[in-house]
Parts: sequence; C-alpha cells; structure tokens
Amino acid sequence: MAGGTIAAPRRFRPTSGLFLVLGLFLLWEVSARTGMVDSPNWPPLSRVLAALVRDTLSGEMPMLVASTLARMFVGLAAGTLAGVALGLLFGASRFAARMLGPTVELLRPIPIPAIIPPLVLFLGLDNTMKVTIAAITAFFPVLTNTAQGLRAVEADQIAMARTFGVPAWRRLFRVTLPAILPYVMAGLRVALALALVTTVVAEMIAGEQGVGHYLVLMQFAGRAEEMYAAVLVLAVLGYALNRGFLWLERRLIGWFFATGRNG
Amino acid sequence: MTEITRRAALGASLALPLMAPALRAQALTRLRVSVIPVLDVAPLHAAIRHGYFAAEGIEIDTSATTGGATGLPGVVAGQFRMAFTNTVSALLGVREGLDFRFAAAAVRSQAAPPDNMAILVRKGSGITSGRQLEGKRVASNTRNNVVWLRGMAWIDKTGGDWKKVTAVEVPFPQMADALAGGQIDAGLFSEPFVTAALQTHGDKLERIGWFIQETAPSSSVAQYVAMKEDLEKNGEVFERFARGLHKGTDWVNERLGKPELLELISGFSRVPVERLKDCGFTVYVKDVTEAEIAEVIATMTRFGLGGRYPAPSELIFRTAKA
Repeated sequence: MAGGTIAAPRRFRPTSGLFLVLGLFLLWEVSARTGMVDSPNWPPLSRVLAALVRDTLSGEMPMLVASTLARMFVGLAAGTLAGVALGLLFGASRFAARMLGPTVELLRPIPIPAIIPPLVLFLGLDNTMKVTIAAITAFFPVLTNTAQGLRAVEADQIAMARTFGVPAWRRLFRVTLPAILPYVMAGLRVALALALVTTVVAEMIAGEQGVGHYLVLMQFAGRAEEMYAAVLVLAVLGYALNRGFLWLERRLIGWFFATGRNG
Repeated sequence: MTEITRRAALGASLALPLMAPALRAQALTRLRVSVIPVLDVAPLHAAIRHGYFAAEGIEIDTSATTGGATGLPGVVAGQFRMAFTNTVSALLGVREGLDFRFAAAAVRSQAAPPDNMAILVRKGSGITSGRQLEGKRVASNTRNNVVWLRGMAWIDKTGGDWKKVTAVEVPFPQMADALAGGQIDAGLFSEPFVTAALQTHGDKLERIGWFIQETAPSSSVAQYVAMKEDLEKNGEVFERFARGLHKGTDWVNERLGKPELLELISGFSRVPVERLKDCGFTVYVKDVTEAEIAEVIATMTRFGLGGRYPAPSELIFRTAKA
C-alpha cells in the first residue's frame, strides 16, 4: 500500500454539471419532437447524432476535424514562438517595450474576424491565410503573458545565477524560461480556445476546407442535422482541447501548482 | 558517343511513358474560380466532371463562397482568375472603377414561370402585391445585388413604392424561419430555398410572385467575371475556358429535370436530390448580350444604383459573346 490511499470510485453528484448538459440535450430533443420549436432548422438531437455517426463512419468528419486541427496547431505553434520571442524582448528591454508597446496595444483589441478580409487580400483563401489567423490569435495572449512573466521572475533567481557565473544563454534556458513557463502556458490556454474559434471562422468565410466550410455548406444545403453535427463536434473538440491542455499543464509545470499557486 | 546516345535513347524511351502523366498535368493551365454552390454553376461542374476543361488543357480549381460578391475582391486581388457572380454586383464593381469584364455567360431568368426566384409571404397576411408591402419589412440575402434589385422592381411593378419598404438582409437559410416567425413580412427567395421553404413551412408560407421573371423575363442573372487586363493578356486561356464551359452547358441543357443532372448538383451543393426535383431552374446560356446588360444598368439606375458605366459592348469580352 505504499504510495498513498486508494481513490474511491468517482460518482456523479446531483450537482454535477453533467446533469445540466444532459438536461439541455433532453430539452433539445423534446423541443424539436413536440413542436415547441417548429422549424426544420431545429432537428431532434437524436437525428443530429445519427448524422454525426454517418459522417464519422464515412470518414468525412474525421478528415475535416483533422484538417481544421492541423491548421490550428501549426498557427498556434508559430504564434506561440513569435509571442514568446517578442514577449522576452518586451520584458527584457524597456526600449523595445516603449517602441513596440503602443503598436501591440493598438492591434491587440482588434477582433480577429475583422482582419480576415484584408488577410484574404494579401494571403489568399487557403492554408496560409487560415494558419496566419490562428497564429495571430495565439500571438497576443502569449506575448503579453510572457512579458508579464519575465517581469515577475524573481530578481533573486537571476542574481543568484549571475553570482554563480551562469552564462547569459544558459540563464535564459535554465532559469528564465522555466520560471516564465506557467505564464506562457496561461497565455497559451487562452490562445487555444480562441484559435479553434478563429480557424473555424476563417474556414467559414472562404475556401473549401475544414469543419467551418462544411458547416456553412450544410447550412446552405438545408441539411440542419449535418450542420448541428458539426457544431456538436466543435463543442466536443473545444472541451477536449481544454481538458488535454490542463493535463499537459499539470505534467509540464506540476512544480508550479505544487507551490500552492493556481494557473 | 554512339553508346551514350543509345543509352540516352533507351533511358528516354523507358522514362517518357512514366513521365507522361506528370507532363500532361504540367501542361494543364490551372484556373482558380470562385463559385457559389448553387444550381447555376451546374455547367461548370459538369465540364469538370466530364473532362471538357481537361480536353482544353485547363484544370479548374473551384473555391466556394456563400455569396457572389465575396468572390469579386478575390478576383481583384489575383486570388481567383474568375468569379461566378450576379450581374448587379459585377456592374457595381465596374461603376466603382474596377476593371471587371464578363468572361463567360452563366444564367438568365425564365421567360415564363416557374423561375428560380420567388417572393414568399405568410399565409393569411393578405399581402399579394408590392403596394401592400409599403411600410413592411422585406428580406433579401444581400442589399444591392440582383435579388434585391429585382425584388424592388417587383414591388414597383405591383403598385408599391420601393422606397417605402424596409429592406433587411437575411441569409437565405434563415429566411423561411424569419418569415414564418413574423420577423419579416416577405422574403425574396432563391432556389433551393424556395422549394425548401414551401416544403417545410407550406402550412404557413405561400408564394405570391416570381419577382425576376415577372419584372424582367429572360434577363441577365449571373456570369463569370474576370479582370480586363488578364482577359486581354491571356485571351486564349479564357477562350479554352469558354469552350469547355459551353460543352458543360450543353450537357446540362440536355438533361434538365433528369436524375443525372440532379445528382451532379446534389454532389457539389449537398442539397438532397428529393428537394432538387421540385426546384425551379434558371436558363443556362452561352452568351451575354449587350441588350441584357443595358437593361440591367437601366434598372439599376431606376432603383438608385446609377452612375457612370461603360458601354455594354466594352464590358463583354469576346469569349462571352455569341
């Protein structure tokens, strides 16, 4: 029995959020079946699930999800790298922060869907544009969190590394980056949720790619079941990405949470 | 030397058959065309499916958008070589100084009902004419396009004052619900949304007119548009495009109402075949005439979209002429 206690099997309590979700699903089914909402654009959940099963078994939905996720993750990676690099510059150099700060603060609040039309003009309608959208989405939260994290790194840690003669590049990789990782992760978590939204919006506007395009195509084809199946997939995808990220966060910066702080 | 030549000849004779598909693919000119997944682009898809473009050495890469006007900025930016768009949106671009030209014909309205577009109202509303729509809300998918223009013309023709009507933008997929729910008083529908609305809301909605056919029978609805500079520089490519498209148009016209055509349309639009069976179609044509463009410009001018337009003859590239 070394190593701890036996975990009791988890039971759903009446206050569990899952019951609310199930209740809403039930309301969906009943409202469509009984005519509470009388529209072909409001099909019963059971028919939506049947369409989802059909699209999954045909391989269409998995392909669409994979293509959307691929674009999102490539953009996320590019935006995160750029955000961390510029965030470090911001945090390390007051001059850089003074010079670039106003531009960043002006651009940051612009809703991403608003910049899609000019991006279409410069980058086209394909992957380049959609990946760039995801990258821009990730860039700003990661940038601000990295800069904030760098400012929050305890001066003592840096000073001690300096005292021990740790070279600058090693200080960066061994002291600074690990110390700011929780902040970067917090920014990335925000970016992850937003990147899924903006990638799908970009797919909805133009091109013939991904879940976003499928959703619009089905809407215009009057196939509400398939359209809501795509919406359900996006909901589940968003939830799964968040849960997966939390799991990864606990693995990567468990030490941060062990100090009693909360990401 | 002789041996090297033999080797080279032997190598080439082995490699050429293997390279043939790649060489053929290289020889194809790739044209990116912005389309809307609607009934009107059936000839384009027929030509792609049956290899009419490939026979002309063209590979068509379609990119679907939900509205014709969305594709035009892509043509200006060079993202597309052509866009399928309604005549009014293209002419408005020309009025604003953009060098759009009609590169190929697409569709005209029907000479007699049923047509592709219809105006629907709620049953029991008592609305049967434009006069009764004064002070009411009329939905169009977009303002200042062919749907809106002909809708306003129908209101005018049936005794109403179009300026006294509140035109609101409602996307086609939501129009039937908005009308049945009382958010709007009339909707300017296009197929397959006319059929869908009457199939699903038949107890609540009714058709009171074919607003394009009744105001302008056999009139211009949509074309393929390209930039003047591109057309003049690469006219031969567009000629090949037009030839391939014409064969697609013939294929479609020979199969109107037949399962083959409905399956083709269902394939790219994903609209169920059962719904397509009841749809009113436009007329698939191979030429754009000066008279039809002049009529559209005159109607646009009457309904507040006037301005400086070049002569229709200047707007129609040779590939779109009869």
